[in-house]
Parts: sequence; structure tokens; C-alpha cells
Amino acid sequence: MKILIAKRLGAAGTVALLAFSSFAANAASDGTFGATSTGTVGISASVPSRVQISKLSDVAFTNQDPASAASNAQNVCVYSNTATKGYNIKATGSGASSAFTLANSTLTVPYTVEWAQTTGQTGGTALTTNVALTGQTSAATTPACTSGAATTASLIVKMSSAALLTMQSSTSYTGTLTLVVAPE
Amino acid sequence: MRLLSCMALVSACGLAVYAAPAGAQSNNVRISGLSDLAFGSLTSGVDATRTENVCTFSATATKGYRITASGSGSSNAFTLANGTATLAYEVQWNKLSSQSSGSNLTPNVALTGQTSTATQQACNSGPANSGTLIVVIRGTSIASAAGGPYAGTLTLLIGPE
Repeated sequence: MKILIAKRLGAAGTVALLAFSSFAANAASDGTFGATSTGTVGISASVPSRVQISKLSDVAFTNQDPASAASNAQNVCVYSNTATKGYNIKATGSGASSAFTLANSTLTVPYTVEWAQTTGQTGGTALTTNVALTGQTSAATTPACTSGAATTASLIVKMSSAALLTMQSSTSYTGTLTLVVAPE
Repeated sequence: MRLLSCMALVSACGLAVYAAPAGAQSNNVRISGLSDLAFGSLTSGVDATRTENVCTFSATATKGYRITASGSGSSNAFTLANGTATLAYEVQWNKLSSQSSGSNLTPNVALTGQTSTATQQACNSGPANSGTLIVVIRGTSIASAAGGPYAGTLTLLIGPE
């Protein structure tokens, strides 16, 4: 069984529009003719709200004993440049209607996804496919956690014993989990 | 007494004329033609540059001048601000107009040895511009900047040389 996690980087463009007309500098002034002359230039710019999720790894449950539930936790990096460093996260699976399922042809098996906004966790808030988990904050100080905290959050993928018991032996089930992060 | 007063006045006038002979060279300078620079929405990881042609005039014999820039950041740093968040920028100067790059300026440090082609103090005749101001916001700075609108003021001072 193997879950391929799709990395989704970038931003929510809808939040990029900022009211910069109200913030536009209007300070330009010419100098006068004299022993020295001083002029001023107003400079304005806007940085859109941006987020990035990185440091994702594939998840592999191999030769899993169906008598026991399986769990895989990985530490990832989420960066948000908003004032609160806030974000929301939405997960979708590759099953029918974006279900969290692995498949081998017509055979499918469900898995669950949990998210924690801190690193090093083995449990978190259960995600529902295509439903954003809001109110998350990041400790990352740079995109991709290139400095400061190396990772900021935990992604936990689980398969219940009941689900494992439905699987056909010696058969590879695969799927893709897509995570979309948006600024808050 | 009336004659003495008149003689004293004539003497004073004569001295005044002698002290400021016609055609004396002044060392006055002027910078003009400045406009605000609006970068708009920046793109993370991509350098953003704005340039503007300005008029610098120097009445010295060589038309020489020096230019000193200072920003509105802490210790006159070249930074824009949004509350406590800051966004660094770079300032370049070129003594020619319509240039895309120039000499990097350091806050409060004069760039010397500049000369102007301007023949009128506000470039109302002769060359319309005589220098280029270039402001650059690096993509690396944008990538790590907090989201939001930023603003600041750049002050340019020129002196004669």
C-alpha cells in the first residue's frame, strides 16, 4: 500500500488584492535652488498574502498486519506570511468524490487523515475530504522552513484494522492525497 | 550733516556693489522632477524595479554635485514599513537619464563625483532630465516579507562639487 502525497504550493490568489490605493505614498517633492537641495520620493508596495506547504514525503504501509491499525506521522513545513501566520488546510483524496481511499483497480480501502499545527505529533484533528480546517497557525519564519523551525506541523495518515482486514493480500493499493493550504 | 549722510550712503552703496560683482559664479544646486514610486503588488522571489528620470542642476563651474540618500527606516535605512513589518529596498543613482542601473547608494553616504548636463535649474530648457533614480526590491526580501501594504519615504540631498 502506498499513498502518494501531492504537494500543493502557492497561494490563494483571491486574497492577494489589497487596498493599496488608500496606502499609496504621496510624498514626492522637488528641492529648491540653494547651497544644497533636498527632494523626497514616496515609495509604496504591497506584498500579497502567501502560503507554502513543503517537506512532504510519500507514505508507505508495507506488509501491514491487519490485526493492528496502521499509522504514519510526518513532520511538514507550512509557511504563512500573514500578520497572524494563520492558514487553513484542505485535503482531498484520489477516490470517488475525492474520498480518502486507496485503490487497486476496482478494489478500494479507506484511510483517514489528521492534521496538527505543531510538529512531532502522532495525532491531530481529523480532516474531512474537501473541507478546510481553519484557524491553524504556523511557527515558520521563512518559506520552506529554510531557517528557523525546520518543520511546523504534523500530517498523520491512518488505516484502521477493520479497513486492513478488507484488503486483498499481496495486492498493492495506491492513491494520492492532495493538501491545499490557504492564508488566513 | 546732510552732505555727510549722503557721502556715507554713496560709500556704502559703492562697497555693496564691489562686494557682489556681476557675473559671480554661485555654487547652488537643485534636484527636481521627482515623483512617487508605486510598485504595486509584488511577486515573491522576483526582483521589482522602478526607475525615474529626474533633474539635477549644479551651478558650479564643473556642474559637479554629490548625492546623499536616506530612507525612512530605522537609522535612515532603505526600508518600507507596514506597522512593525519592514521590507528592504535598494537605491541606485545614475548621473545620466533613462538608465536601468547605477551606483548603489548607502544611507547617509554621499556619492561624489557626479556631473549634470542640465542647463537650467529645473530642466525647463535644455535636457529634460539629467539623472536616473533606480529603486529595487529584491525577490528574496519579498519572499520572506509579511503580507500587506508597505510605504516609506526616500530623501535625496544633493550638494555642489
